[in-house]
Amino acid sequence: MALSNASFVHRIGAGVVDLASTVGQMMTLLGRILQRSTPARFDRRELLRHLEFMAIESLPIVVVTALFSGAIVVIQAAPVVQRFGAEGLLGWGAGFGVLREIGPLLTALMISGRVGANNTADLGTMVVTEQVDGLRALAIDPLEYLVVPRFYGIIMTLSLMTVFSDLLALFGAALAGQALIGLSMHGFYNGITGGLIEFKDVAHGLIKSAAFGFIVALSSCHFGLATSGGAPGVGRSVKASVVMSAGGIFALDYFLSFVVP
Amino acid sequence: MIRLDSLGVRLVDRRRGDRRWVLRDITIAVPRGCIYGLIGPGAAGKSVLLKTLAGLLPVEEGLAEIDGVNVGEAAALELEVLRRRIGMAFQNNALFDHLTVSENIAFPLRRLFTPTDDEVREKVAERLASVTLPGYEERLPPGLSGGQKKRVAFARATITQPPLLLLDEPAAGLDPVTSQRLFDLVKREVKASGATCILVSSDLDRLLPICDSVGVLVHGSMLFDGTVEDAKRSSDERVYQFVHGLPDGPL
Amino acid sequence: METPPPLTTHESMLVKLGRLVIDGTEGARALTSLFLRTLWFTFKGSRPKGSTAHQAFEIGNNSASFLALTMGFIGMILVYQSAVQLGRLVPDYSMVGANYGELLVRELGPTIGALMLATRVGAGMAAEIASMVVTEQVDALRLCAADPVDFLVVPRFLASLVMTLVVVVLSSAVAYATGAITAFIAFDVRFDVFANLSLVDFGDVATGLTKSIAYGAAIPICSCHCGLEAHGGSAGVGRATTAAVVLSSLAIIVLNFFISAGSFLVGL
Repeated sequence: MALSNASFVHRIGAGVVDLASTVGQMMTLLGRILQRSTPARFDRRELLRHLEFMAIESLPIVVVTALFSGAIVVIQAAPVVQRFGAEGLLGWGAGFGVLREIGPLLTALMISGRVGANNTADLGTMVVTEQVDGLRALAIDPLEYLVVPRFYGIIMTLSLMTVFSDLLALFGAALAGQALIGLSMHGFYNGITGGLIEFKDVAHGLIKSAAFGFIVALSSCHFGLATSGGAPGVGRSVKASVVMSAGGIFALDYFLSFVVP
Repeated sequence: MIRLDSLGVRLVDRRRGDRRWVLRDITIAVPRGCIYGLIGPGAAGKSVLLKTLAGLLPVEEGLAEIDGVNVGEAAALELEVLRRRIGMAFQNNALFDHLTVSENIAFPLRRLFTPTDDEVREKVAERLASVTLPGYEERLPPGLSGGQKKRVAFARATITQPPLLLLDEPAAGLDPVTSQRLFDLVKREVKASGATCILVSSDLDRLLPICDSVGVLVHGSMLFDGTVEDAKRSSDERVYQFVHGLPDGPL
Repeated sequence: METPPPLTTHESMLVKLGRLVIDGTEGARALTSLFLRTLWFTFKGSRPKGSTAHQAFEIGNNSASFLALTMGFIGMILVYQSAVQLGRLVPDYSMVGANYGELLVRELGPTIGALMLATRVGAGMAAEIASMVVTEQVDALRLCAADPVDFLVVPRFLASLVMTLVVVVLSSAVAYATGAITAFIAFDVRFDVFANLSLVDFGDVATGLTKSIAYGAAIPICSCHCGLEAHGGSAGVGRATTAAVVLSSLAIIVLNFFISAGSFLVGL
């Protein structure tokens, strides 16, 4: 990264322009994807194939992440709970945190690192090895064939995985509660279903996860297609894509936390 | 003097997850001062052979010997001593992107010997002049054209004046004029210094005239080892086809 | 070379599971070996001077603003979410700041910060090293008696150890500030009430520090491992970069669990 003579202000300005242009390009890509979605003009067999592949490839990390992070929520809450002697509230506390925030957020970060990054690498490799040009030469629309199925595949994978990881994280939390502060599974379960957690908390998490899926899908497809410069270029794209996804996830999380009840 | 005796190299095939023979039963001898042309179709194991000689890949069976040192069983220190005598230009150039051209060329010299700064500057300038890139000292590799990178890689391989020179496609992607100049340069320098050189190239028209002997490697096996004339008259149909570049045949 | 007979779905699932276990143990062994070699070369290496400082600058320069941004958002979200949660029980927000401060030092600052670092810095390290592997630069290093672990991994490892802590502290400060602003705007908690650090004790600081150091070591080891294992052209670089993000993130989550559980059990 050349520091040379560019002043600090200049660099900030250049950064803002860069970001604006990337967002603009992503919006254009989104427009072209939507244009091919209504009516659905994309390869549905490809969608199913990607869905299966993405689910299988992300399953192990989602399981590990969910179990451990559920347990960590309890570990962090345990001292507070013990301080107030409110063991019965542990299920509620962990459930609230997992369903509204931790579950969707960590699952999205993991899927972004696994599925999103992989997708960028795939598309990027196809671009630098001129496979995408090859498709065009055969009059096959790369967006219909390559991009749109992946785009919806990622959104669906992330939404489904969030449901799955919510359940696993609660299970991990219950296990940790039993092991660390001796709260029975039953007590934990009562804490979750005791009425303090409402359906809207679950919905809050799921709506967010769909939005995260959207940003991961869009940025991973965009950076994949925008790859140039051989093998190092693919590496750069993957990096840019995961960074954009993570930034986007946090920004969306912020706005949705306020907007969605 | 290089001696390979029924050398076998097995590498992990990452896609299938098992280990696969890449070289089998290679037996050749390259005397000192010889330019040995190694040719063969793609994925035959030519690069693997060069890397094995440089001690970069493990020897599975047989013997790879350079001036009496067994590369496969050399200890780390022995290998380091051996590598002072090896110069290698890689197929992908392997120029360090974050170092300037002159730092790249000087890298083996500084790592393997203890030269003074003046010596380094002098030698780098001489090398750059020999590959007709004078004044490129401070450029960075990503800003060079494909042909320029190839020539810088050659300059780096020869900076230590190694007795053994391993060149993997040193002229791929070069225009005919530059390519011919590079082959002439190789021949001139190798003959002047009495070094041994193993040269991999698919540019047979330019390669064969400068070679003393030639080996044809197909699918990990040495099909032919001998002089260029013998190769051109070979009774093995595959060797004959490859050396003459015929489209029809067993390959 | 005979091709194996096609597998039935059952067999292939079993094979996949088996391969997962084998890959897992082999991966753990390779990571340990890389870690030990890194430590060895930290004291014994002959890398050029200044390479660690260069990497430290790269890490800070690349990640500070990104971490400040994401942690800033996290601060706002978490204060908002926990205040909403608290509001359903007792609408008394005076302790929100104190609890948030403890959680930030002990858990959120190091862990979320490190997850972001893994994304930003880990991916970068893996991409860089993987490109060097597939373009044979690592072979060229070895040919010149320059061990790739010494030249490539050690500077990144040392730089990351230091810079993770620095960047985590900086971005946690940002998260604390945005949290305070959110509490003030959304729940009318005054700054002097929010800035209550009475719950942050030695145990919290020690746990947070341990985590930062552990993550700072884990990210470069995982990422460099993935980079060095790269093979097969541009597709290989992509795969290595992906694997680095996943492996580093998993390492952080697993380490977090063990350090948290450990510090809870010893009563810190």
